[in-house]
Amino acid sequence: MTAEEGWRRLSVRVVWLDLIRVVISLATGYLGIVVSDEPVWALVAGACGGLLTALLDLRRWQTTRYRITPERVEMRTGWLSRKHRTVGRDRIRSVDSSARLLQRLLGLRTVHIGSGETESSFKLDALDHRHATLVQHELMPGSSSAVIAGAAPDADGAAPAPERPAETVIARFHRSWIPLNVVSVWAVFAIAGPLFGLNWLLRALGVDLPELGRDLIGWDGRGPVANIALVLLIAYPLGVIATTVAFLLENGNFQLARTGTAPDTALVTRRGLLNTRTVQRTDSRMRGIAVDEPLVWRWLRLARTKVLSSGLGAAAGEATGGDILPRIRLAEAHRLAARILPDGARPLEAALTRHPRGALTRRLGAAVYGPALVSAAMLVFTLTGVLPGWWWLLPLALIPAAIPLAVVAYRSLGHAVDGAYLVVRRGIRHRRTVALQRRAVIGWTVQQSIFQRWGGRMTVGVATAAGERHYESPDMSEEQALTFITKATPDLAAAFVLDDYAEKSGSPDRAATVSANHS
Amino acid sequence: MEASLTLRPPRHRLDRRFITWRTLQAVVWSIGVLGTLGAVWGYAEITRPYLGPVILAVAVTYAVNITVMPYARYRTHRWEATEDAVYALSGWLTREWKVVPISRIQSIDTEIGPLQRWLGLASITVTTASSEGTITIEGVDAKVAEETVDRLREVTGMTPGDAT
Repeated sequence: MTAEEGWRRLSVRVVWLDLIRVVISLATGYLGIVVSDEPVWALVAGACGGLLTALLDLRRWQTTRYRITPERVEMRTGWLSRKHRTVGRDRIRSVDSSARLLQRLLGLRTVHIGSGETESSFKLDALDHRHATLVQHELMPGSSSAVIAGAAPDADGAAPAPERPAETVIARFHRSWIPLNVVSVWAVFAIAGPLFGLNWLLRALGVDLPELGRDLIGWDGRGPVANIALVLLIAYPLGVIATTVAFLLENGNFQLARTGTAPDTALVTRRGLLNTRTVQRTDSRMRGIAVDEPLVWRWLRLARTKVLSSGLGAAAGEATGGDILPRIRLAEAHRLAARILPDGARPLEAALTRHPRGALTRRLGAAVYGPALVSAAMLVFTLTGVLPGWWWLLPLALIPAAIPLAVVAYRSLGHAVDGAYLVVRRGIRHRRTVALQRRAVIGWTVQQSIFQRWGGRMTVGVATAAGERHYESPDMSEEQALTFITKATPDLAAAFVLDDYAEKSGSPDRAATVSANHS
Repeated sequence: MEASLTLRPPRHRLDRRFITWRTLQAVVWSIGVLGTLGAVWGYAEITRPYLGPVILAVAVTYAVNITVMPYARYRTHRWEATEDAVYALSGWLTREWKVVPISRIQSIDTEIGPLQRWLGLASITVTTASSEGTITIEGVDAKVAEETVDRLREVTGMTPGDAT
């Protein structure tokens, strides 16, 4: 392929989309000027912003070209500053597509091509849906690079992509998921944002929303406590409705499936009622799985499932961040985890080893001396006359709450080595069980503070290229820690964990230690 | 069989000049930090009730850092780089053992700061795909560091890469 061959454009429908935006902006601007005597500046500013964005977007469409060669993906874009980005195909970790409402109506899809680092991903905004599928097929498993060069969508609308590989559905949206995901302590805040927005807009039109609300519920007739209770009583159900709508929009039509033929398989997640989003994760990069159980919902045994893939960022909010299922019951999550993991293992259900009693003592101690230290520091400032008389006593009030949390923290702790996986569990507000493939361990960090040294305990950290890059299991006993490391990575452990038993039987050299660890 | 597993200390100690280096470093930092805080304390009278206890706490910390810490660290810190792994023990109050297998190493760096150059010391940093997996060995004789890094580069070049 020569240097100038094979470049493709974004879909021409982006132009239509931008023209629609221009029309909407102009209409809004017109409305803003005529609706009252004074121009409504918020609307006019919004219209100008919209118009500018649409025009710039047209220019972007005009200047953007991309191409996919057997070796790499390239994109040229930019008007004032030209950009040319190249990423090797073997670096590509994920290909997702998403569509906002307007895009979807026009049959457009935004394609995100991720290569692990957040900066070096491509965003093809937007392709028509046939081209989007084509790109996904080209870049993802099972696709041969031969079909790429001149493939154009046929006029009759048939997808030019190769036959869609066989798919096994692992999970589908289920109505019973709705209540598990929408009832939350924070539901009240779901309507706060829209309310602020509405207030801002209405104020521009001369309506005082807070005043209106106050009149509506008779604010002035009651005490502050009754008022807050009433507001919560009204806001909570509304909040739940809002989160239900949001959940349905985001997760409606949810489907998790395994696609491709072995060994080139991948997990595909599709979700979204109006804005659809498709995420592909290659199995060859999957390194483990994690479930996260929030403390408040422990009694219902609710859990969120994440997959750990090497090279994919773990940053919250990133589409490829690892969240693979909505919040579901733990038993169901365990059942699905066995199907999500390519090898069908069930490491999340492994029996975990309890951490020693000293770990509990340490947590109870911290629950007492933590607030006590803050209190002491505040007392010093009280003596220098900065803080008023009795403030330094306040942190001590935290102790009764901290003690049960210390027990929760201790009871969360656990670890195990189960087949090809190592499992660690910890956490207070979120109890997280992480199952990581043993081969994904790229290093160990063992820490021991003075107190841990006295108590014979150690904190073991696992470095890995997947998920959050680092998982920790605090306060194992020394014996537990070193057994854990030896079982998880026998060859590496041989380099630094000494087996006294093997030493005593007269084989102090390393080769003997290695064989002892293998037996 | 109980309590039979132990962590073997890495083979090499740091260079003795590490103590001088760390002491000098702590002195420089203490002058900077305490000087700034002291200046504020001296000029802005209103801050005195806030800054007084802070300055006292910082002064005690630096006094310990200058007198005890460098030697205590020198006694603990150890390192080694073999054909299989880079292994280091560091820390003082909290000890930290770190090990990275050669096959997972992504890059190897040496760093020589102005104080280190003057003392003939160097720091070796070995990075992996996980930032938590990074090992830094501070205060190695510059020549030893150079030889070690050369050998590590050679060994990592031969070992099949498996960075993730």
